[in-house]
Amino acid sequence: MVEHIINSEEKRDFLFLNPQSQDLLFRQEKGSALRLFFIDYSNIEGENRFRVNVEQKGEDCRTEIYVLSFLRGRYRQHFTSRIVHAVGNGYSRQIIRYVLTDEAKGDFAGDVVLSPNAQHIDAQQSNRNLLLSNTATIRTRPCLEIYADDVKASHGSSTGQLDESALFYMQQRGLSFSEARDMLVLSFMSECIEPIADVAQREDLMHTLYSILQNA
Amino acid sequence: MNELLHIEDLHASIEGKEILQGINLTIREGEIHAIMGPNGAGKSTLGAVLAGHPSYEVTQGKVVFRGKDLLSMPAEQRAREGLFLSFQYPVEIPGVSMVNFMRAALNDKRAYEGKEPIAATDFLKLMREKKQLVEMADKLNNRSVNEGFSGGEKKKNEIFQMAMLEPRLSILDEIDSGLDIDALRIVANGVNALHKEDNACLLITHYQRLLDYIVPDYIHVLANGKIVYSGGKELAKELEEKGYEWLNI
Ligand SMILES: Nc1ncnc2c1ncn2[C@@H]1O[C@H](COP(=O)(O)OP(=O)(O)O)[C@@H](O)[C@H]1O
Ligand SMILES: [Mg+2]
Repeated sequence: MVEHIINSEEKRDFLFLNPQSQDLLFRQEKGSALRLFFIDYSNIEGENRFRVNVEQKGEDCRTEIYVLSFLRGRYRQHFTSRIVHAVGNGYSRQIIRYVLTDEAKGDFAGDVVLSPNAQHIDAQQSNRNLLLSNTATIRTRPCLEIYADDVKASHGSSTGQLDESALFYMQQRGLSFSEARDMLVLSFMSECIEPIADVAQREDLMHTLYSILQNA
Repeated sequence: MNELLHIEDLHASIEGKEILQGINLTIREGEIHAIMGPNGAGKSTLGAVLAGHPSYEVTQGKVVFRGKDLLSMPAEQRAREGLFLSFQYPVEIPGVSMVNFMRAALNDKRAYEGKEPIAATDFLKLMREKKQLVEMADKLNNRSVNEGFSGGEKKKNEIFQMAMLEPRLSILDEIDSGLDIDALRIVANGVNALHKEDNACLLITHYQRLLDYIVPDYIHVLANGKIVYSGGKELAKELEEKGYEWLNI
């Protein structure tokens, strides 16, 4: 396990681009801000397991986790996140997006823990999954453990296919099926790309994702 | 005038249920037709079938559009040939910007016609010009397609897209529903301004009100999947006063 300490009042961004299996722990001191980006699109076979643990040890911490998994071929990916709000006045956001095609398999478990001392927490987890083939599968287990009473916490998870009415609307205006599909999928993925600070990197990633999608 | 659309004995069904039961209709360049009829008559179905919606199955009949077999074309080719359907319920597409969407649509049509993609500055100029037609000034470029638009904005956005794409035949499905009188006037003025000698319009409505603003050459009454009566623009008043009952439907 690799451990990172985010010092008091420190602001850190981490970007993991097509990483191998990882087990990570982030400890946040008072008033720190952590943003994690996990972007996984290059594999078409094999298996990776990611575990991300975040502990908000001091008050007034912010945590944002963005996970974009574009799983193809016979690749299998497991992702587990666990955010522990140990004390009060914390904030956490998780945006977890999966796009799966071919025979890829995804497995996502996300746990948010609000300890008894963690009052005035604002915690949200959003997980959305898009299946582009009938043979791809995704399993999700979002979980909220709440031991404090004065908190705002929510999670949502949904899995579906491309919106057919949107596809038809776009085709009615002259876009081909694949053009329409690519636009819809890219906009879905961009939720995890747009918060990246570096503009050039953002554009690079969108280009790469677009070209992979066109050949998918 | 040249024939744009010729429908002959068109039957179509959805989920095994026959909705269109033998439609015959011819539309020529320069004409405005209106289709009226009670709820559930099959008006939207006709628009969807002509536009190539994949949920409907055509079981009989033929449709010729600009001299070509329409029914054998995929939806996007029908659009590129110049068929436009303004949706009764325009679809919200979060994350897809109006600019990117319209640029793709316009360039696809241009490619189909053997033209180069439009230059970036010309495109933005065109967007600006066409937005004015529906008085949507600054509101459009960076917004996602129809996302968070009011009912009136959605309908104006349909007419805006029609203006951008300059279709030969526009099928406008309930373009008046949910509009207040100001929005109705803007939408109708837009449609009238776009009407030319070489294009045509098929209005679908069940309110006579729209036809005060866009005056059709022909009115057809659709009921139970068939056109049961056709007449000139004066038919609108008659339907307004007498309803549909006197037609024995
Ligand atoms: N997806 C569907 N599945 C089954 N029946 C449908 C579907 N969509 C429409 N219909 C039926 O088709 C008929 C015609 O509908 P529609 O074309 O929307 O009528 P209109 O636009 O004239 O009000 C109605 O009886 C409606 O119930
Ligand atoms: Mg209708």
